[in-house]
Order: sequence, then structure tokens, then C-alpha cells
Amino acid sequence: MQASARHQRHRLATIVGLLPLIIFLALLLYVGLNAPNFLTVVNLKLVLTQSLTVVLSVIGLSAVVMAGGDDVVSGGIDLSIPATAVLCAGIVAVMTSAGQPVILAAGAALVASMLVGVVNAVLITRLRMAPLLATLAMFVAVVGITNVITERKRLNLNADSIAALRGDIVPGIPLGILLVAILSLLAWFFLHRSKWGLNLQAAGGSRDAAEISGIRVDRLVAQSYLLAAFMGFVTGFFMLARANGYSPGAQDNLMLEMVLATFLGAAFSPRRIVTVWGAILGAVLVAAISIGLKTIGVNVFWTDLIKGALIVIVVALSAISQRVQ
Amino acid sequence: MKKLLAATSAIAVLSVSTAWAQDQLSLEGKTIGVAVVGTQHFWDREAFNGATSKVEDLGGTVVAVDGGRDNQVHADNHDVLMNRGVDAVISILGDGSVDPKFEALQAADIPVFSVDHPSPYVVNNTTSDNYYMGTTIGRYMADAMGGEGKVAVFNAFENSLRICGIRTGLWKYVLQDYPEIEIIQPELAEEFANAPEDARRQTLDLLSQYPEGELDAIHVGCWDQPAIGVVQALEETGRTDIIVTALDGGPDTMEIMAEEGSPFVANVAQQPRLIGQTAAENVARYFAGETLLPQTYVDVVPVNGPEEAKAAYKELGYGEIK
Repeated sequence: MQASARHQRHRLATIVGLLPLIIFLALLLYVGLNAPNFLTVVNLKLVLTQSLTVVLSVIGLSAVVMAGGDDVVSGGIDLSIPATAVLCAGIVAVMTSAGQPVILAAGAALVASMLVGVVNAVLITRLRMAPLLATLAMFVAVVGITNVITERKRLNLNADSIAALRGDIVPGIPLGILLVAILSLLAWFFLHRSKWGLNLQAAGGSRDAAEISGIRVDRLVAQSYLLAAFMGFVTGFFMLARANGYSPGAQDNLMLEMVLATFLGAAFSPRRIVTVWGAILGAVLVAAISIGLKTIGVNVFWTDLIKGALIVIVVALSAISQRVQ
Repeated sequence: MKKLLAATSAIAVLSVSTAWAQDQLSLEGKTIGVAVVGTQHFWDREAFNGATSKVEDLGGTVVAVDGGRDNQVHADNHDVLMNRGVDAVISILGDGSVDPKFEALQAADIPVFSVDHPSPYVVNNTTSDNYYMGTTIGRYMADAMGGEGKVAVFNAFENSLRICGIRTGLWKYVLQDYPEIEIIQPELAEEFANAPEDARRQTLDLLSQYPEGELDAIHVGCWDQPAIGVVQALEETGRTDIIVTALDGGPDTMEIMAEEGSPFVANVAQQPRLIGQTAAENVARYFAGETLLPQTYVDVVPVNGPEEAKAAYKELGYGEIK
């Protein structure tokens, strides 16, 4: 009797865990049926191209969530990634506009980005600050620094090597999509197949158990924030290529889509946990929904409302699913 | 006399043929994408409404996309229009992030008609006479300052948007002849979204930095939404020693100018609805096989002082200010 009740609860938890995915796929189906030319190769390429910055940042975010645990409040989260991305984009735009070589600008941006990662790691593993608050504070601070550096002005790109990211490497295949695909595969391998990745998952799954078995959890958590900062750095270049320069304010939309994609992605994994490939798929789906809603003529502010509501639904259902279990 | 008669009849023929061409313009059976950077501000909304209503008047179908005043979203929206397979695109405002999109549309043989965004990838750009706007506001401001004093300028877009480069560049050009007027450095940079509130905060900071008697004017280099916040800050702090000048002249800012004792003393009003309509007509002209010039200029209305604000408000069809 008890076993059957447990079984039923488990089934309920599975259904609740799958609900975000079902809602999302239903939305996608609706859009697909109503938006002209939605289910075409051209549109698929468009969706992939527009999802690149989100894909890169969710790789960073999912590593942090895997290391810190997927409880949104007390677990691992890094909201500062979009800010690190605009910091990198801002530094590179300012330096290349001033005639500095791209490589030097990239070096400076890398140092600045990794500094953000180090500060995050110290705040969270040494000062034991809640990651949600620590990285939100960092987000605000880093955007502030970026505004100082760029004087909050639009800066046009004058570096062909960065603009090449949006061009085709062979006819039909943009270099950006290819590079991000390679990076995604690498990320999947290191986070899900390497020893380091398995330790990272163990740390996030159960901190105590991981520590007992000799895994240095704090070190792994710190490393995950450094990886996130590095992904923010990479994202910055794709932002520059996409916008043909630096436009102030690009961080806000990225933040929304990054969080949505990562937690939506959890619905893809059999155990409803955050995974890299789930998050990447989530990022592509979020881009598809965004483009689809625009194609059928939904007002831009309604699109924001829909995305915000989806985050609430995804996070709430994941919490309910865990409680039921 | 003969010459005059010939000239008059030539003009008459020309105007008749223009009127005839106007009647013949048609977008029947065409789907026109209209991308606008945002619809919260009067200018953007009017240009958008002008373009979409004219496309529909000419028998075309509109596919509209709105960027929510986010330049990246606006740029990405052009991809959506390309995917929809529209026959032409009217693109209103936007920064450098739209240029690669224009290039892609051109490569896909979809002609682009821009508003306030000159680009090598567009057939035609419809805009105000930005040159006249820049010099006129420079003269009006210098006169209002008595030819001397310190001016702070909100100038976020001079280097990134060509229209702003023209407006602010020529404002500065005029000021070269007023050596007693000093532009405070560093210049201020206003936000693209939330401009009034952002400018209000920045002005409050500026005012605490420059106490009574140390600042004479605040100018907004390319538009006038920030000026709304500037005037608010002046009223909050009770500073009556500073004049405000800006460009665009929508009903919201002309109402402020018309108030008694308003610090907002000069503006140059544009005709955004007419600009949008003209862009749509240009699309029809293009499809009718006419050769378009790279730029179409739409007249502006200089507004110097409260009385001219009231007159311009009426002239531009915004109603009457009592």
C-alpha cells in the first residue's frame, strides 16, 4: 500500500516535472502552426544565430548550478554573466575604437572578466554570501563599471576579425554557429564526461556526501564561477559581432533568456536537474519562441511578460515536483 | 516676361505631373515590413503610424515589428521580416546594429527604406533637414544665452548615429563663432530607453556640481525626451538661472515650452508622421520604377520661445494650447 502511494507520488512528480516542457512545446506548436515560414531551414538558422549569446552564457550558468546545487535560492547561480559579457564587449569596443589591436583588447577584457569570476568565487566560497545576492550585486556593479568605461555610448565595431563571427565560414554555415557548436560539445564533455565534471555534479548533488568522499567542494564551486566568467568573456565577442558594436543595455534581455533557458533545460533531463545540453536546448527553444511570437505579431511587451511568466512557471513547477517527491 | 511665363507653366506642369504621380502610387499586392525601434515615444510612434497607415492607404499589407526601444531587439526584428518574405522593409531609427541586417536584406533582394538612418545598404533614407536643425538650434541657444556662458550637453549619440552627428556637429560649428560660450566637459550621455527619468537624475547631479550662477544652459543634442527630465530637475531645485534647448518638438515638449516662464526656450519641431508617410510613398515610387535620390528631406519648424511653441503646436495639427 505504502509502496503504491510512493509510486503514485513519483509519477505525479514526473508529470509536474515535465509540465514546463509540455507548456513550452505547446507554445512552440502554436507558433509553428500560426507563424508563416516558421518551420523552414532559413528560420532554423535564424533561431540558432539569435540564440548564440544565450547558449554561451547558459554553459557558464549551468556549470555554476551543477556545482552549487539547483536550489534557486541557496544553490549555485550566477546572474553576473550577462554583465561580464557587456563588460568584455565594452572594453573591446572602446580599445579597438581607440586603434588598439584586437588581441590586446581581448587580453584586457579577459583579465577584467576573470576578475569578476574571482570576486564572485571569493564572495561565495570565502564570505559565504548567498550566490543569488552576491552575483546580483556583481551584475549591478559590473554594468556600472561598463557604463563608466563606455560612457554609456553606442560604439560601432571596427574589427573585421570579430565581425567575421556573423559571417559564413563555408556558404550556408556561419562561423559563429560552428564555433558555438564546438564549444558546446567541449562543455558537454568536460561537465558530463570528465572526472572534474563528475566531481562537480557530485558537489552540487549533495555537498556533505561529496565532502565525505574527499571532494574539495569549495574549490570546485570557485572554479565553476571562473568558468562562468570565462563564458561571459566569450559571450561578449558574439554580442559585438551580432550588434556590429557595443549597444548599452544588451545585458537585460540576455539575463532574462539565460535564466529561462537554464531552468527550462532541467525539464529535459530524466531527473529534472540542470544539465549543459538541456540548458543549450533550452536556449534554442527560447530563441525559437521569441522569434515565433514576433512573427505572429505579438506585442514586444507581451513577449517580455510571457518570458517572465515562463520563468515563474518553470521554477515553481520544479519546486513543486521536488516537494512531491 | 516670356521667360517668367515659361517658368510658371513649367512649374504648373511639374506640379500637375507630381499630383498625377501621387494618384498613381500603389502598393497593391505588396507586403511591406515596418520595423520601428520603439513605440513609447511620440516621435517613434508617429513615424511608425505614418508609415503603416500610408502603406495601407496605398493598398499594401503591413507586417509590423516593434523593438521596445531596445536597439538589439529592433535589429533582430529585421531577420523576422526577412523570414516572412516581405517585398520591402521600412526601417525606422536604430543604431549601427541594424547595418548587418540591411546588408542581409539587400543580399536577399528585399529593398530597404530607412527613416533617420542613412546606410549604403538602403534604397533611400527619409529624414528631417538635420543640417538646418543643428545650426538653427545653435543660433537660438547662443542668442538666448546672450552669447556667453557655460552649457552642458547631453550627447550620447553624436559618434554612433549619423543624424545626431549632423545635429550636434553643426550646433558645435555655430558655437565656434561664440568664443565666450563654453561647453562643459565631459559631455553627458543620456539613456536611449527611460530617457526622461535618467536625464532628471543626471541633471540633479549636474546642478549640485554647478551651483547658482555657474551654469547657464543645458542642451540635448539630438532629441528632446531627456529635456523633459531636465526641466523637471530644474523645477525641483528651483533653479531659474538655466535655459534648456533641444530638438524634435513633439506635443509633449511644446506644451512645456508654452508654459509661462518655462526654462525650455528653443526647439526645432520635426514632422514624424509626414516622414513615415513619405518613406511609404518612396517605397511605392520605387516599385513604380522611379529613381529615388539617396535622401528625402522633410521640412522642420523652428520654435523660438513660448509664442512660437503655441503657433507650431497648432500648425502641426496637435490642437491648441490655451
